[in-house]
Amino acid sequence: MNETLELSKMVGLLVPLIILQLILMIIALVLCVKTEETRGPKLMWVLIIIFGQLIGPIAFFLFGRRQA
Amino acid sequence: MNGANEVYRGTHRGAEAPRSATRSSGGAVFLTLLGKECLELLRSFKLIWVPIVFAVLGIMQPVLSYYMPIIIEKAGNMPEGTVIEIPAPMGSQVLADTLSQFGVMGILILALACMGIVSGERNSGASALVLVKPVSYASYILSKWLSIMLLSWGSLLLGYGAAWYYTWLLIEYVDVVPFLLSFVLYGLWFSFVLTVTLLFSTALRSAAGAAFTSLGAAILLTVLAGLIPKYMAWSPGALTGLAYQAATSPGWLQMEPASWWAVITALIAIAALLAASVVLLKRAPARD
Repeated sequence: MNETLELSKMVGLLVPLIILQLILMIIALVLCVKTEETRGPKLMWVLIIIFGQLIGPIAFFLFGRRQA
Repeated sequence: MNGANEVYRGTHRGAEAPRSATRSSGGAVFLTLLGKECLELLRSFKLIWVPIVFAVLGIMQPVLSYYMPIIIEKAGNMPEGTVIEIPAPMGSQVLADTLSQFGVMGILILALACMGIVSGERNSGASALVLVKPVSYASYILSKWLSIMLLSWGSLLLGYGAAWYYTWLLIEYVDVVPFLLSFVLYGLWFSFVLTVTLLFSTALRSAAGAAFTSLGAAILLTVLAGLIPKYMAWSPGALTGLAYQAATSPGWLQMEPASWWAVITALIAIAALLAASVVLLKRAPARD
């Protein structure tokens, strides 16, 4: 009983964190696919965004896009 | 930028002022420019991703300190039977840790996000298009500065607020006064560093140069304030330490005169840096 309570509390706490990270990842992915030209191969950026946890999308936002 | 021009004409309709006579610094022009900067932030998605990153950083710190004993137990390769007593973290300490996290990651992200704010426009020629209109250099710089301030203070409030809420949920309630006081002190430090970024963005051709010179200056100031607190207590670099103290002290922080000087010099420095940016922009409004 106590353990399930602890588990549900933990999940409840971590869900906002995961949702925020997912939003970040999705925005970065959409931008990456839609943009005409990225700095470096596009596939590399997609992999970085997906596997780079928090740092991946940040790196894409900061360095991935060519200034129009 | 048609808007600025129309507004300008509108305010001068009766006077029939010649278009090139003086550069207007009216409030309406400034508001139009500010609107343009905010739109730019939104279009480049900075207004969305920077606050989200700050919120994630802010949530991460309390959660990590809460689960630290479990993480060490599961992941650390301790010999069998080792018992480590980790004292339960203090709520105020967690907030100070969050601030130092923002001081590294947060300032890096903000400085990198804002590094091209003037030099990028100047290199692409957009600044020339804006500045041939009757727009004063001061309102051009100020609109950029205010948009950076909105972004940084908003993100910091969101991230720090999230950290405060999670600390309350997981560890303990921290009073509002230390929270707000440390928020304002840290926000002032952010403003100072980002104003330096804005100055270097006006001074240098390369955006990366602007980001790294200002980050270097920020690191130098904090290190100096940490190494020789006696002589550097008045410098803006002392603000970070002051914010940690404010977060960990119960109630109002007892500020020493030197600490007040840190706040005052930061404010003066921000004004001086802005004035210097305007002068630099006036000297070289566009690359040719």
